Amino acid sequence: MPIPVTIADDSALSRKTIKRALPEDWDITIHEAKNGVEALDAVHAGLAEVLFLDLQMPQMDGYEVLKELQQEHQKTIVIVISADIQPEAQALVSKMGAFRFLQKPLKPDQLRATLIDVGLL
Amino acid sequence: MIEINEDERDALQEIMNISMGQAADALARLIQTKVSLSIPAIQSMSPEDFKGVIHGLSNNWFARQSFMGAIRGEVIMSMHKDGCNALAEVMDFDLPLDEAATEELVLEVTNILSAACLQGFTSQLELSTQLTMPAFYYPVQSIHSDDWSSILIIEVEFFIEQMQFDSRVLIGLSEGSIEQLLVPIRALLEA
Repeated sequence: MPIPVTIADDSALSRKTIKRALPEDWDITIHEAKNGVEALDAVHAGLAEVLFLDLQMPQMDGYEVLKELQQEHQKTIVIVISADIQPEAQALVSKMGAFRFLQKPLKPDQLRATLIDVGLL
Repeated sequence: MIEINEDERDALQEIMNISMGQAADALARLIQTKVSLSIPAIQSMSPEDFKGVIHGLSNNWFARQSFMGAIRGEVIMSMHKDGCNALAEVMDFDLPLDEAATEELVLEVTNILSAACLQGFTSQLELSTQLTMPAFYYPVQSIHSDDWSSILIIEVEFFIEQMQFDSRVLIGLSEGSIEQLLVPIRALLEA
């Protein structure tokens, strides 16, 4: 069974970059979300066993999504992919339940290593 | 006026966002304090309008750096005078700041922010450019944009809440450089 994966980022270029960086041998279905609200909808619709989450998004940002997921006790594996790479952001998202933090610009090798690291590959 | 479409604007904004994130991180690590930043605002304007923007930032110190190579333009950094003392303190300057120390502070912060920022976007787009040394700048002086018929301005605000430090980085690109910049951006969008 392919794993449902959602990419949540307001930038079309970023979503494209993430899609392109995903390993070809990973059996998944890809859904895209342009903001936090759409990301949560995807989780509720069962489209996000894995969620690649941007932090800076309109309507509902990545931090709010993490907070909501925590409150709902969702089992989604969240991998944050962010342009805000300051230590404070990294510490905060990890406290809020994100599995990993990856810096933009995203490097395919790093993504692959991360997926292996969390047991997805 | 320079026209860029929605996809190109989104791509440029995202690329600048990543670059400015790297710049903010460089400063944050130096001063061990969180640095916040705005979403990059991108607009094309005439040199006259650009002067208006600069003149609107009264009570600010300015520095500028030129860059040249595959794309050419200017980075103009403005720092609100009020927050400079607090920042100077964590950067080990002696207070109160005299004229020379103020200049040194502004140039140092400019170097950190604009170098990281330019490096960030040229490396993402695989363009080769060199930055000149920053120079303290008084807006009454003319800027290179005088020669340009139309410029694209990318503006980002950096602020440090607890120090009331507020600064802006303005990147001005000439019309010809925009065309150069759009080549790799279009390639990224089409890939």
